Amino acid sequence: MLMRDETKSIARGLQKRDPDLLDRLIEQYQYRLFRYLLYITGDKARAEDFFQETWIRVLERGHQYDGKSKFEAWLFAIARHLVIDWQRTKKAQSLDALTDPEQDKPLQIANESEPSPLHQVLAQESEMNVQVSLGKIAAIYREVLVLRFQEELQIEEMAGVLSIPVSTVKSRLYRGLDALRSALHEGAA
Amino acid sequence: MSENLHRRALQLLAKARVEGLADSERDWLSAHLQDCEFCNEHAKQTDRALRALRTAAIPLPVDLASRTQFRVRLRAMELREREPKRRMLWLACAASWIFGIASAPFVWRLFEWLGQLTGAPKLVLEVGFGLWWTIPAVFAVIVMLLEGVQRSEEPGWMKPGR
Repeated sequence: MLMRDETKSIARGLQKRDPDLLDRLIEQYQYRLFRYLLYITGDKARAEDFFQETWIRVLERGHQYDGKSKFEAWLFAIARHLVIDWQRTKKAQSLDALTDPEQDKPLQIANESEPSPLHQVLAQESEMNVQVSLGKIAAIYREVLVLRFQEELQIEEMAGVLSIPVSTVKSRLYRGLDALRSALHEGAA
Repeated sequence: MSENLHRRALQLLAKARVEGLADSERDWLSAHLQDCEFCNEHAKQTDRALRALRTAAIPLPVDLASRTQFRVRLRAMELREREPKRRMLWLACAASWIFGIASAPFVWRLFEWLGQLTGAPKLVLEVGFGLWWTIPAVFAVIVMLLEGVQRSEEPGWMKPGR
């Protein structure tokens, strides 16, 4: 009930384009949104660009948020669509097409001679092997793992963010966990 | 221990994290994990990985929030400046429609007179009369399209992936 009141009040504020509310939301969600963007783009500078652009979209399309779902699910959906639109302009079909391991196209890394920003960031963690293994997983699987285990979204909410059926979310989660296990196994070997 | 038992255990370990387990499945899995070192290690490894994923510390770029807030405020100002113009546009459209309805009999007479003068068929006159009414809407659409073009020509710093 409390969550519902909160989302309703966010929806009302977004309708009015309340600048103080937007400031507060940017502060509140900066870490989670940036982390999500970093995981799906694998590039810090790009994640920064998309971060800013996402909030511009939130301002412009705030009237579309009805407050019935979690604000973060709506926010992540906007961010994801921006990334996919950008990927399309780079002559790719979608984020999935770019990152689906079955199409043999892993996440593009800007400079392959250096560790990717994602790897650099992750390597700072004490459990380095685990984190580096996560960085090796294809983006579509890493994305569902992030949404489920970092953002703690429900399967149905994830389906909304990703615009895919619940069954696909589940199968990606299973594959993601499997990929994580394989990456860990390789890392340990 | 058979390969099938390991496979089932690994499937249940994944299922526990995706959909949750039934009581019977949970009981079977915990009994298996007590006896099986391999699956037990796998469960611990997955736990560690997910814990690391939850606790991964990612440094935020300097001033990211304040830079974004600044950009959002600028954009909000821009949108606010556009709003009165758009309101005026709709008011003008509404006024012209009202005027159009009020003046319809006179305009039709004008079209009839033009028809007699040029000998144009009645269908052409009716179509022309209909088009006359769509002029305000067409004008509004053109203005909105122009605004859309203007937006797509925004400077590069306003777009991602510059």
